[in-house]
Amino acid sequence: MWPASWQSRENKRNLALEGVGQVAEEFSFDKEKEIARSFSKRFQWEMMLIGVGQATIWLCLWPLVIYGYISLFVGSLIAIVCACFAYLPSHEAQHGNFSRGNPKRRWIDSFVSHYTLITLMFPHDLMRCTHMKHHAYTNNPEKDPDYDTASSKSIWGVIVATQAGITKYQSIAETYKDDKTFMKSFHKGLNVALVYRAILLILVVMFPLEALLLWWLPSKVGVIYLSAFFSWYPHYQMDTGRYKDTKFWSHWMPRYLNHSMQLHFVHHLHPGIGHYDEPKAIEALKPFLIARKVPGAENIPDRVTHNPLIRL
Amino acid sequence: MEKLNAIISNHISNWNMVWFGLIFWGSVFNAIAINYELTLNPMLWYACGLLLGSLAKIRGTWLWKV
Repeated sequence: MWPASWQSRENKRNLALEGVGQVAEEFSFDKEKEIARSFSKRFQWEMMLIGVGQATIWLCLWPLVIYGYISLFVGSLIAIVCACFAYLPSHEAQHGNFSRGNPKRRWIDSFVSHYTLITLMFPHDLMRCTHMKHHAYTNNPEKDPDYDTASSKSIWGVIVATQAGITKYQSIAETYKDDKTFMKSFHKGLNVALVYRAILLILVVMFPLEALLLWWLPSKVGVIYLSAFFSWYPHYQMDTGRYKDTKFWSHWMPRYLNHSMQLHFVHHLHPGIGHYDEPKAIEALKPFLIARKVPGAENIPDRVTHNPLIRL
Repeated sequence: MEKLNAIISNHISNWNMVWFGLIFWGSVFNAIAINYELTLNPMLWYACGLLLGSLAKIRGTWLWKV
């Protein structure tokens, strides 16, 4: 008889492999996982720099605009760029890719995520708990919190879905009302969202156009950008199941401008791989992905060009 | 305390759009009017914000229904 912890580990493994067909031994899940693990060790310093950097730049915009050092129009453009860079560092933190399982470093995950999300007015806890459900139930119409955007028929549909606001979160809360851990994070996140809303309403009374063009508008543009490239393109018209829910796709836009979301499928397979290590991981995992029939895997180039991986 | 939290939480979830319309959009409309030197009563712009927020509450969304 196996100890309970072993059984639990085995159950998790079985769940992870649910719906996975048989492949040759050389492409086994264990071998795939071993390769993925070798790309899941490096400290994601680029992401920390981007997250902390963009939020600091965004905060500096306020005095610069209010005291007239830069125009509101220029400030707004910079704020929009900041907003588009704001989510990915939090995303790494949500998966614990800064702490890498070290409890002493967990504060880095929390700090980077809370700080970088200021630009988007997103609460870290709400993002983390809903994102974990997105991974667990990708493309499930009832349970995936991102299904509304992933199932949109066009970019316009994505834009319309992003403005659903609180209605979307009410229905997510209803779905997971019996999940205590989820609801605890969810309520914690809602409280932070209320604080953000209160700060915005105070700022708009004092600096109306600045609040509109430095915070409200950039956060809206940022959310549309994120929803299109993170939720819609990689999951659009995909099925459910470990190797079927996310695709490799191509886009006219240079890879850096869409945060390399063409490679998002490998993140769904192995969330521990750091974002800037994904290109190298995909090159190494390509035969496994083809064997597993990941949608679009046959189109993965042998060498992912403009590899942004920087060694320290 | 729990009852108070529930009352506040209910009020926010039911009336957040109306308050947001009044305060946020009212302030923005008013600032735009000042910028373009429209010498109408500021209350008018806040009333426009309130109207926008009230319409959003009735429709359940700010723009289009999903």
